[in-house]
Amino acid sequence: MSTEPDSAAEGIDWRSESSNVEMSRRDQLSELYEQKIRVPAVVAWSDDRTRLGILILSVYLFMALVDVLGLWRDPSPNQADRFLRPFENMQYPLGTTNSGVDLLALIIDSTPFILLMVLAGGVWATTLAVAVGTLSGYKGGTVDTVITTISDFFMAIPGLPLVIVLAIALSPENPILLGVVLTINYWAGLGRSIRSQVLSIREASYVEASRTMGTSTPRIIIKDVLPNIMPYVMVNFVLAARYTIFAAVGLYFIGVLPYSGQNWGVTLSNAYYQGGLFSMQALHWLLVPIIAIVGLAFGLILLSQGMDRIFNPRVRTRLTGESESVTEDTDASTTEMI
Amino acid sequence: MATDSSSSVSDHVVSRGTVEDPIFEITDTSVTYDGETRVLEDVNVSIDRHEILGIVGESGSGKSMFASALLDAIPDPGVLTGDIRYHPPDGPPVDLLGLTDEELRQFRWEEVSMVFQGAMSSFNPTMKIGAHFEETLKAHDKRVSEGLEFARELLENLYLEPERVLDSYPHELSGGMQQRALIALSMVLDPEVLVMDEPTAALDLLMQRSILTLLDRLQRKYDLTIVFITHDLPLVASLADRMAIIYAFQFAEIGPRDEIIGNAAHPYTRALLNATPNVDAPLDEMQPIEGEGPAPVSVPSGCRFEPRCPLATEECRTTDPPLAAVDRDRTTHRSACHHPATAREEIQLNFDEANDELESASPVEPSEPAVETRAEQTSETPLLSLDDVAVHFTEEQGLTERFTKDPTVVRAVDGVSLDIHEQDLVCLLGESGCGKTTLGKTLIGLQRPTDGSIEYRGQDIWEAKDGDGEIPYDEIRSALQIIHQDPGSALNPNRRIADILSESLRHTHPNIGRNERRRRMHSLLERIGMAPAEEFLDRYPHQLSGGEKQRVALARALLMNPDAILADEAISAVDVSLRIEIMDLMLELQSEFETSFLFVSHDLSNARYFAEHGDGRIAVMYLGEIVEIGSAERLIHDPRHPYTEVLRWATPDLELDSMGAGDPPLREVDVPDPIDPPSGCRFHTRCPVAREACREQHPDLRRIDDGDGRVACFREDPNHEYWDSEPVDGAVEQPEEFTGN
Ligand code: SF4
Ligand code: SF4
Repeated sequence: MSTEPDSAAEGIDWRSESSNVEMSRRDQLSELYEQKIRVPAVVAWSDDRTRLGILILSVYLFMALVDVLGLWRDPSPNQADRFLRPFENMQYPLGTTNSGVDLLALIIDSTPFILLMVLAGGVWATTLAVAVGTLSGYKGGTVDTVITTISDFFMAIPGLPLVIVLAIALSPENPILLGVVLTINYWAGLGRSIRSQVLSIREASYVEASRTMGTSTPRIIIKDVLPNIMPYVMVNFVLAARYTIFAAVGLYFIGVLPYSGQNWGVTLSNAYYQGGLFSMQALHWLLVPIIAIVGLAFGLILLSQGMDRIFNPRVRTRLTGESESVTEDTDASTTEMI
Repeated sequence: MATDSSSSVSDHVVSRGTVEDPIFEITDTSVTYDGETRVLEDVNVSIDRHEILGIVGESGSGKSMFASALLDAIPDPGVLTGDIRYHPPDGPPVDLLGLTDEELRQFRWEEVSMVFQGAMSSFNPTMKIGAHFEETLKAHDKRVSEGLEFARELLENLYLEPERVLDSYPHELSGGMQQRALIALSMVLDPEVLVMDEPTAALDLLMQRSILTLLDRLQRKYDLTIVFITHDLPLVASLADRMAIIYAFQFAEIGPRDEIIGNAAHPYTRALLNATPNVDAPLDEMQPIEGEGPAPVSVPSGCRFEPRCPLATEECRTTDPPLAAVDRDRTTHRSACHHPATAREEIQLNFDEANDELESASPVEPSEPAVETRAEQTSETPLLSLDDVAVHFTEEQGLTERFTKDPTVVRAVDGVSLDIHEQDLVCLLGESGCGKTTLGKTLIGLQRPTDGSIEYRGQDIWEAKDGDGEIPYDEIRSALQIIHQDPGSALNPNRRIADILSESLRHTHPNIGRNERRRRMHSLLERIGMAPAEEFLDRYPHQLSGGEKQRVALARALLMNPDAILADEAISAVDVSLRIEIMDLMLELQSEFETSFLFVSHDLSNARYFAEHGDGRIAVMYLGEIVEIGSAERLIHDPRHPYTEVLRWATPDLELDSMGAGDPPLREVDVPDPIDPPSGCRFHTRCPVAREACREQHPDLRRIDDGDGRVACFREDPNHEYWDSEPVDGAVEQPEEFTGN
């Protein structure tokens, strides 16, 4: 049977010599936009929980923006009456502290710091874990043995004391350094579970097919391995970020971490020691930072639940209005794995 | 006329009249989901006491539902309606749907027992096999010691060593052993009926057939009634007394085995018979059935088979044909078709003619060594050349074992030499665990041999990989491609078909633009029958069917412009009715593309289809060695190695005379452990004609004097001391004398 060039092919069929028509830049960009931005956005927005998560997180981003642009006053003592209740005076909507500092100003002032720290913690923990886990899972052999031994060592060190010692030794005031210190050995456990997932993906037929084609190892890792562990990685990124806030607040609270200005943890600690827990007068002082902390954690969790949908091709095709799946299996959700 | 009265009798009455002593009577039985989706519709069948009823259907035809209905075990939220009556050997009939939960629990296993596919999931991996037997006996208030005694007897009847098996964990047994242990477990309470749903589908052919012969014996010994459900028509045909064909949630045809095979009246049955790759059928007549069975929501209103039926008429479109007697005077054979007579006339069964042809062509005559000329006497450098290759795997060891034990070495491939030429076609055939996949991967340079060498056009592949070769490694790498067994994992689930195929094009045409790339993929997809190509390109793998995924995998390999492609059991996961289509496609593309193909298979009829169509060779492997190699023609009609004969025996066959004939020509059902292969000829532990000499000496592959190919057996050498030594225990002098044990 002869090959019929298909009507739209304009003479090019699957075996003809290559032509020199390069792909236009525009085409590439529009394809990139479609695949990497529009489709994930549609999928993420379609889920109620994720939508709520995104909204909550945008509030925090907005606060950070307000601070960076200087749209709200900076916190300073005696800028208002002491112990104003929330909504008592709309100039200070969240009330004031015992020294007359505007609470809203306090919260807003430290938002960029907290967000940077959280981001640094999450990025550091997951990137290192992914790098280590994929390397040892995909390479195997001696590399694997060495990496596994090192990560075993790190897992054996109790986390909190190590962080405390480091915090005291380094006195990190830079939010990024602080994020890294707080999640210093978070990667070990995560790297382990990523390694075991990579191990099984490495054996999949499609990876072998890519190897057979002579595709380079980095490209196999980027195209075949990573996308398949991405949902798991994203969920863990969020978990690591949440861990970072809680750890930071905890350490500020017990006074291990150095502070120059006030932030959510410091505010919380001050409120507590000034009797916020026992007097109704100071209750809001305690509550406001707590709400700020819990809200951020909650937003992150909601977002993480949407993450595995973004990377699930079944959900993707269903939502972007493409033809229905042939096999209607239940979606394997990665949140169940953890 | 006497028949006048019977023809007016309604079908339901006919159905009751067909068997004399029914053990099951199933009347107007349906299974419904969500109140409307019917996955089994108005079934009226009776099952005779002590018969073996074979039920055949494609995947998704409702055959498993029927199995579950017999135990009133429909998975939630399905609803079972109708009337299922069970007649115990003594006592009044039981209305299955009226039983309480407790009665039902006793009924299952004690009266009717079920064996599923995949023994691995039926056993608890943390419990020994023996414990499973005990649990079952206790749960049904039976005496454990007596029950275990019976279990040992059963296991022995299934050719297992009772003590060893009872004392093992499931993973310590091979798949075939597990499945047999599961059969013993299901029979330990001495049930009347055994319902088996694809019990052997995960095993290779030889094991399937061996289990079937054992089942046949068990059935006679313990007076069982067996309902055997499968997609594999020829397999069950060797065992069944009666057969039924299920199509789209209803019985399409039912009747005595010989009637169904030799004189089927339903177009679907006849098409199914013709679509089965079959050792005896002339090759050009095997035909795929076009289209697919309907989904439960879109069952046609008239005859269910109408959209795919070549004989459909107006009547078929409007009226659903009842399951009625085909010939007026014989009520045992019933079919749901308006035009049974036309079907018999119009749709010829291909294996009928085959029988005639076979008789005229004398098989023993030495065939022209056509293959020989091409494969062995060409002077040019072969495309791929294996020289005395061995692949041994060392099993992972724990730290303590490393000091105390010698490493366990699995000898997957041992001492294999083989040349593959340009545009050659070789099928590697053997049981699972014989090293055929490992050998295949060694051939395409994916597996590094532990000993010996592999050359591509005279260049050692592994030397090239280490950087000192004349042909660059990249070139070798892209010249040798693979298609995997499981279409499900052959494609990255996260990439669209376009991206998957682009990957090949990146290697062959690194600089082309997006439009050109798409056009190339487009034209290839259309060529391999995936239209509309535009749409397929934008899909993800989960949106394709198994057959389509396999085509994409083929396309991906082809876009690399390879010299050789390894197809690793590439069609065994595809539905039977589609296999021929895919095999044909591969063969067509082979000649169009001028590539060599290496097929790995456990199924002689598939291997034969390839080898004969593509004018290639079949290499039979046993425990890591090639024991016989030659053209498909010679191998089928004149097998020289006793093992090839076994494989020939295991290949299902639709010839009525030879059906159900005898035991496997083997002394042992199970393959020995490749960690410690037998000395001498590796086949001597199972060979029916082994003699003392075979225990000590190892036969080499030698050229066959009066035929093409080579074989590794002493019987080929008339002067070997084999002929003077004594047969080993259980073996006989001549293969014809062997009757099994
Ligand atoms: S009833 Fe008609 S459509 Fe159905 S199988 Fe018979 S001939 Fe074909
Ligand atoms: S050499 Fe002996 S044991 Fe081996 S196949 Fe031949 S007869 Fe059987």
